[in-house]
Amino acid sequence: MFLYLYRAQLTIAQQLPLGLLTAAQGHPMLVELKNGETLNGHLVTCDTWMNLTLKEVVQTSPDGDKFFRLPEVYVKGNNIKYLRVPDEIIDLVKDQQQRDQGGGGGGYRGGRGGAARGDHRGGDRGRGGRGGGRGRGRGRGN
Amino acid sequence: MEALNLDDAPPPQVLGQPPQQNQQLPPQMFTTAAQLLDLTDKKLMVSLRDGRKLIGVLRSWDQFANLVLQQTIERIFVPSLSPSEPGLFADVPRGIFLVRGENVTLLGEIDLDKDDDTPTGYERADVEVVHRLWRERKGREAKRERGRRARLLREVGFEGEVLGEGG
Repeated sequence: MFLYLYRAQLTIAQQLPLGLLTAAQGHPMLVELKNGETLNGHLVTCDTWMNLTLKEVVQTSPDGDKFFRLPEVYVKGNNIKYLRVPDEIIDLVKDQQQRDQGGGGGGYRGGRGGAARGDHRGGDRGRGGRGGGRGRGRGRGN
Repeated sequence: MEALNLDDAPPPQVLGQPPQQNQQLPPQMFTTAAQLLDLTDKKLMVSLRDGRKLIGVLRSWDQFANLVLQQTIERIFVPSLSPSEPGLFADVPRGIFLVRGENVTLLGEIDLDKDDDTPTGYERADVEVVHRLWRERKGREAKRERGRRARLLREVGFEGEVLGEGG
Protein backbone atom coordinates (compact mmCIF):
# COMPACT_ATOMS: atom_id res chain seq x y z
CA MET A 1 0.00 0.00 0.00
CA PHE A 2 2.84 2.38 0.76
CA LEU A 3 3.98 1.71 -2.72
CA TYR A 4 0.92 3.28 -4.16
CA LEU A 5 1.30 6.26 -1.89
CA TYR A 6 4.82 6.86 -3.07
CA ARG A 7 3.80 6.20 -6.60
CA ALA A 8 1.15 8.88 -6.36
CA GLN A 9 3.73 11.38 -5.15
CA LEU A 10 6.02 10.31 -7.89
CA THR A 11 3.49 10.90 -10.64
CA ILE A 12 2.97 14.38 -9.33
CA ALA A 13 6.67 15.00 -8.99
CA GLN A 14 7.58 13.81 -12.43
CA GLN A 15 6.36 12.68 -15.78
CA LEU A 16 5.97 9.04 -16.75
CA PRO A 17 7.90 7.87 -19.81
CA LEU A 18 4.81 7.87 -21.99
CA GLY A 19 3.93 11.35 -20.73
CA LEU A 20 7.30 12.51 -21.90
CA LEU A 21 6.60 10.96 -25.26
CA THR A 22 3.27 12.76 -25.49
CA ALA A 23 5.02 16.00 -24.66
CA ALA A 24 7.46 15.33 -27.47
CA GLN A 25 4.75 15.40 -30.13
CA GLY A 26 5.79 17.55 -33.03
CA HIS A 27 9.47 17.21 -32.18
CA PRO A 28 12.19 15.31 -33.99
CA MET A 29 13.30 11.99 -32.54
CA LEU A 30 15.14 8.82 -33.29
CA VAL A 31 13.36 5.51 -32.88
CA GLU A 32 15.31 2.29 -32.90
CA LEU A 33 13.33 -0.87 -33.53
CA LYS A 34 14.09 -4.26 -32.06
CA ASN A 35 15.43 -5.45 -35.41
CA GLY A 36 18.02 -2.66 -35.34
CA GLU A 37 16.41 -0.41 -37.94
CA THR A 38 16.34 3.25 -36.98
CA LEU A 39 13.74 5.84 -37.88
CA ASN A 40 14.55 9.53 -37.77
CA GLY A 41 11.54 11.77 -37.98
CA HIS A 42 9.06 14.10 -36.33
CA LEU A 43 6.59 12.56 -33.93
CA VAL A 44 3.01 13.17 -34.99
CA THR A 45 1.06 11.14 -32.45
CA CYS A 46 1.53 8.38 -29.93
CA ASP A 47 -0.79 6.36 -27.73
CA THR A 48 -0.62 4.41 -24.48
CA TRP A 49 0.77 1.34 -26.27
CA MET A 50 3.67 3.44 -27.56
CA ASN A 51 2.35 3.08 -31.10
CA LEU A 52 3.66 6.06 -33.04
CA THR A 53 3.18 7.93 -36.24
CA LEU A 54 6.17 9.80 -37.55
CA LYS A 55 6.47 12.12 -40.51
CA GLU A 56 9.40 13.07 -42.74
CA VAL A 57 11.23 9.91 -41.81
CA VAL A 58 14.64 8.62 -42.75
CA GLN A 59 14.74 4.88 -42.22
CA THR A 60 18.15 3.25 -41.75
CA SER A 61 18.78 -0.47 -42.15
CA PRO A 62 20.21 -2.43 -39.19
CA ASP A 63 23.72 -2.38 -40.68
CA GLY A 64 23.45 1.35 -41.26
CA ASP A 65 24.20 0.96 -44.94
CA LYS A 66 20.82 1.55 -46.56
CA PHE A 67 18.64 4.65 -46.21
CA PHE A 68 15.04 5.26 -47.20
CA ARG A 69 13.11 8.48 -47.08
CA LEU A 70 9.47 8.03 -46.14
CA PRO A 71 6.83 10.76 -45.83
CA GLU A 72 4.93 9.02 -43.04
CA VAL A 73 5.47 5.95 -40.88
CA TYR A 74 3.32 4.08 -38.40
CA VAL A 75 5.25 2.10 -35.79
CA LYS A 76 3.51 -0.52 -33.70
CA GLY A 77 4.78 0.08 -30.18
CA ASN A 78 5.90 -3.45 -29.46
CA ASN A 79 8.62 -3.23 -32.13
CA ILE A 80 10.41 -0.36 -30.41
CA LYS A 81 13.71 -0.85 -28.65
CA TYR A 82 14.24 2.71 -27.56
CA LEU A 83 13.60 6.32 -28.49
CA ARG A 84 15.99 9.21 -28.33
CA VAL A 85 14.44 12.62 -27.84
CA PRO A 86 16.02 16.08 -27.87
CA ASP A 87 17.22 17.46 -24.52
CA GLU A 88 14.75 20.36 -24.69
CA ILE A 89 11.84 18.00 -24.12
CA ILE A 90 12.60 17.81 -20.40
CA ASP A 91 12.19 21.58 -20.06
CA LEU A 92 9.01 21.37 -22.07
CA VAL A 93 7.59 18.74 -19.74
CA LYS A 94 8.60 20.85 -16.76
CA ASP A 95 6.73 23.85 -18.11
CA GLN A 96 3.72 21.75 -18.89
CA GLN A 97 3.67 20.39 -15.36
CA GLN A 98 4.01 23.81 -13.84
CA ARG A 99 1.00 24.89 -15.86
CA ASP A 100 -0.93 21.83 -14.69
CA GLN A 101 -0.06 22.46 -11.08
CA GLY A 102 -0.44 26.22 -11.20
CA GLY A 103 3.26 26.89 -11.02
CA GLY A 104 3.84 24.55 -8.11
CA GLY A 105 7.42 23.44 -8.63
CA GLY A 106 7.94 19.76 -9.32
CA GLY A 107 9.30 18.59 -12.61
CA TYR A 108 12.54 16.89 -13.28
CA ARG A 109 15.12 17.55 -10.70
CA GLY A 110 18.72 18.26 -11.37
CA GLY A 111 18.00 19.93 -14.64
CA ARG A 112 20.42 19.97 -17.48
CA GLY A 113 24.09 20.62 -17.38
CA GLY A 114 24.49 19.60 -13.78
CA ALA A 115 26.71 16.58 -13.33
CA ALA A 116 25.10 13.37 -12.21
CA ARG A 117 27.40 13.31 -9.25
CA GLY A 118 25.59 14.02 -6.05
CA ASP A 119 22.44 14.59 -7.98
CA HIS A 120 20.10 12.83 -5.65
CA ARG A 121 16.65 13.40 -4.35
CA GLY A 122 16.78 15.35 -1.12
CA GLY A 123 15.94 13.63 2.11
CA ASP A 124 15.87 10.13 0.64
CA ARG A 125 12.12 10.26 1.00
CA GLY A 126 12.32 10.20 4.76
CA ARG A 127 12.84 6.50 5.06
CA GLY A 128 14.94 5.61 8.03
CA GLY A 129 16.90 2.61 9.08
CA ARG A 130 18.74 1.98 5.89
CA GLY A 131 22.29 2.52 4.81
CA GLY A 132 23.13 5.94 3.41
CA GLY A 133 21.55 7.22 0.26
CA ARG A 134 24.67 6.67 -1.79
CA GLY A 135 25.33 3.27 -3.17
CA ARG A 136 28.42 2.48 -1.20
CA GLY A 137 29.73 1.40 2.13
CA ARG A 138 27.01 -1.08 2.75
CA GLY A 139 28.27 -4.43 3.95
CA ARG A 140 27.31 -7.39 1.86
CA GLY A 141 24.93 -9.82 3.45
CA ASN A 142 25.23 -8.94 7.09
CA MET B 1 21.82 -2.84 1.77
CA GLU B 2 20.63 -4.61 4.88
CA ALA B 3 20.09 -8.28 4.39
CA LEU B 4 16.40 -8.27 5.21
CA ASN B 5 14.17 -10.93 3.80
CA LEU B 6 10.57 -11.99 3.69
CA ASP B 7 10.97 -14.38 6.63
CA ASP B 8 12.03 -11.68 9.07
CA ALA B 9 9.68 -11.00 11.91
CA PRO B 10 7.66 -7.82 11.47
CA PRO B 11 8.82 -4.80 13.47
CA PRO B 12 7.45 -4.60 17.02
CA GLN B 13 4.15 -2.80 17.20
CA VAL B 14 3.62 -0.14 19.83
CA LEU B 15 0.23 -0.32 21.45
CA GLY B 16 -2.14 2.44 20.62
CA GLN B 17 -0.24 3.42 17.48
CA PRO B 18 -0.91 2.46 13.90
CA PRO B 19 1.44 -0.19 12.57
CA GLN B 20 4.72 1.23 11.33
CA GLN B 21 5.03 -1.43 8.65
CA ASN B 22 5.19 1.11 5.85
CA GLN B 23 8.44 2.51 7.12
CA GLN B 24 10.10 -0.83 7.61
CA LEU B 25 9.62 -2.81 4.43
CA PRO B 26 12.92 -2.99 2.62
CA PRO B 27 12.78 -2.21 -1.09
CA GLN B 28 14.45 -5.44 -2.12
CA MET B 29 11.38 -7.32 -0.94
CA PHE B 30 9.62 -6.07 -4.02
CA THR B 31 10.55 -6.30 -7.60
CA THR B 32 10.42 -3.67 -10.30
CA ALA B 33 8.48 -0.85 -8.69
CA ALA B 34 10.26 -0.47 -5.38
CA GLN B 35 13.66 -1.20 -6.84
CA LEU B 36 13.26 1.47 -9.48
CA LEU B 37 11.84 3.88 -6.95
CA ASP B 38 15.06 3.51 -5.04
CA LEU B 39 17.13 4.13 -8.17
CA THR B 40 15.25 7.21 -9.36
CA ASP B 41 17.57 10.19 -9.95
CA LYS B 42 20.61 7.95 -9.54
CA LYS B 43 23.24 7.22 -12.15
CA LEU B 44 22.68 3.79 -13.63
CA MET B 45 24.20 1.41 -16.07
CA VAL B 46 21.53 -0.21 -18.19
CA SER B 47 22.31 -3.24 -20.30
CA LEU B 48 20.04 -3.89 -23.26
CA ARG B 49 19.17 -7.15 -24.95
CA ASP B 50 21.23 -6.24 -28.00
CA GLY B 51 24.33 -5.86 -25.82
CA ARG B 52 24.35 -2.07 -25.61
CA LYS B 53 25.46 -0.50 -22.36
CA LEU B 54 23.84 2.80 -21.47
CA ILE B 55 24.96 4.99 -18.60
CA GLY B 56 22.64 7.76 -17.51
CA VAL B 57 20.53 9.27 -14.76
CA LEU B 58 17.18 7.55 -14.27
CA ARG B 59 14.51 10.26 -14.31
CA SER B 60 11.33 8.33 -14.76
CA TRP B 61 9.88 4.86 -15.21
CA ASP B 62 6.55 3.06 -15.26
CA GLN B 63 5.00 -0.32 -14.53
CA PHE B 64 6.57 -1.85 -17.65
CA ALA B 65 10.04 -0.69 -16.59
CA ASN B 66 10.09 1.72 -19.50
CA LEU B 67 12.89 4.04 -18.47
CA VAL B 68 13.77 7.65 -19.10
CA LEU B 69 17.50 8.24 -18.88
CA GLN B 70 19.03 11.70 -18.96
CA GLN B 71 22.60 12.70 -19.82
CA THR B 72 23.02 9.24 -21.25
CA ILE B 73 26.26 7.97 -22.68
CA GLU B 74 26.61 4.76 -24.61
CA ARG B 75 29.74 2.86 -23.64
CA ILE B 76 31.03 0.63 -26.40
CA PHE B 77 33.32 -2.22 -25.40
CA VAL B 78 35.56 -4.18 -27.70
CA PRO B 79 37.24 -7.12 -25.94
CA SER B 80 40.82 -7.74 -26.97
CA LEU B 81 41.72 -10.64 -29.23
CA SER B 82 44.76 -11.68 -27.20
CA PRO B 83 44.87 -12.07 -23.42
CA SER B 84 48.02 -9.93 -23.13
CA GLU B 85 46.39 -6.79 -24.52
CA PRO B 86 43.64 -4.82 -22.85
CA GLY B 87 40.27 -4.44 -24.52
CA LEU B 88 39.12 -1.00 -25.63
CA PHE B 89 36.12 1.10 -24.78
CA ALA B 90 34.72 4.50 -25.71
CA ASP B 91 31.88 6.71 -24.55
CA VAL B 92 29.41 8.30 -26.94
CA PRO B 93 27.13 11.06 -25.59
CA ARG B 94 23.53 10.25 -26.45
CA GLY B 95 21.31 12.63 -24.45
CA ILE B 96 17.84 11.54 -23.40
CA PHE B 97 16.76 7.95 -23.86
CA LEU B 98 13.34 6.42 -23.49
CA VAL B 99 14.03 2.71 -23.30
CA ARG B 100 11.15 0.31 -23.76
CA GLY B 101 11.22 -1.97 -20.72
CA GLU B 102 11.18 -5.24 -22.64
CA ASN B 103 14.64 -4.56 -23.99
CA VAL B 104 16.36 -4.15 -20.66
CA THR B 105 18.32 -7.14 -19.40
CA LEU B 106 19.77 -5.59 -16.28
CA LEU B 107 20.45 -2.31 -14.61
CA GLY B 108 22.31 -1.17 -11.55
CA GLU B 109 23.36 1.94 -9.71
CA ILE B 110 26.87 3.20 -10.35
CA ASP B 111 29.17 3.71 -7.41
CA LEU B 112 30.08 7.35 -7.96
CA ASP B 113 33.37 6.92 -6.12
CA LYS B 114 34.47 4.39 -8.69
CA ASP B 115 32.75 6.01 -11.64
CA ASP B 116 35.93 7.55 -13.01
CA ASP B 117 37.97 4.34 -12.77
CA THR B 118 38.69 2.53 -16.01
CA PRO B 119 37.02 -0.88 -16.15
CA THR B 120 39.55 -3.64 -15.43
CA GLY B 121 41.01 -5.18 -18.56
CA TYR B 122 39.99 -2.23 -20.71
CA GLU B 123 41.54 1.02 -21.90
CA ARG B 124 39.79 4.11 -23.10
CA ALA B 125 40.29 4.73 -26.79
CA ASP B 126 39.10 7.00 -29.54
CA VAL B 127 35.42 6.65 -30.43
CA GLU B 128 36.12 6.25 -34.13
CA VAL B 129 38.63 3.49 -33.52
CA VAL B 130 36.42 1.60 -31.10
CA HIS B 131 33.42 1.93 -33.38
CA ARG B 132 35.34 0.54 -36.32
CA LEU B 133 36.68 -2.40 -34.29
CA TRP B 134 33.21 -3.05 -32.93
CA ARG B 135 31.68 -3.18 -36.41
CA GLU B 136 34.41 -5.53 -37.60
CA ARG B 137 33.85 -7.77 -34.64
CA LYS B 138 30.11 -7.77 -35.19
CA GLY B 139 30.63 -8.72 -38.82
CA ARG B 140 32.85 -11.63 -37.87
CA GLU B 141 30.38 -12.84 -35.26
CA ALA B 142 27.47 -12.64 -37.67
CA LYS B 143 29.42 -14.65 -40.23
CA ARG B 144 30.35 -17.29 -37.67
CA GLU B 145 26.73 -17.48 -36.52
CA ARG B 146 25.49 -18.02 -40.07
CA GLY B 147 28.00 -20.83 -40.53
CA ARG B 148 27.04 -22.44 -37.26
CA ARG B 149 23.36 -22.25 -38.08
CA ALA B 150 23.88 -23.77 -41.51
CA ARG B 151 25.93 -26.62 -40.03
CA LEU B 152 23.30 -27.37 -37.39
CA LEU B 153 20.53 -27.37 -39.94
CA ARG B 154 22.53 -29.67 -42.21
CA GLU B 155 23.06 -32.04 -39.33
CA VAL B 156 19.32 -32.46 -38.87
CA GLY B 157 18.70 -32.93 -42.56
CA PHE B 158 17.92 -29.44 -43.91
CA GLU B 159 19.73 -28.67 -47.11
CA GLY B 160 19.43 -26.08 -49.84
CA GLU B 161 20.06 -22.57 -50.95
CA VAL B 162 17.72 -20.87 -48.51
CA LEU B 163 19.38 -22.61 -45.59
CA GLY B 164 18.71 -20.77 -42.40
CA GLU B 165 17.30 -17.72 -44.13
CA GLY B 166 14.35 -15.81 -42.83
CA GLY B 167 14.78 -17.25 -39.37
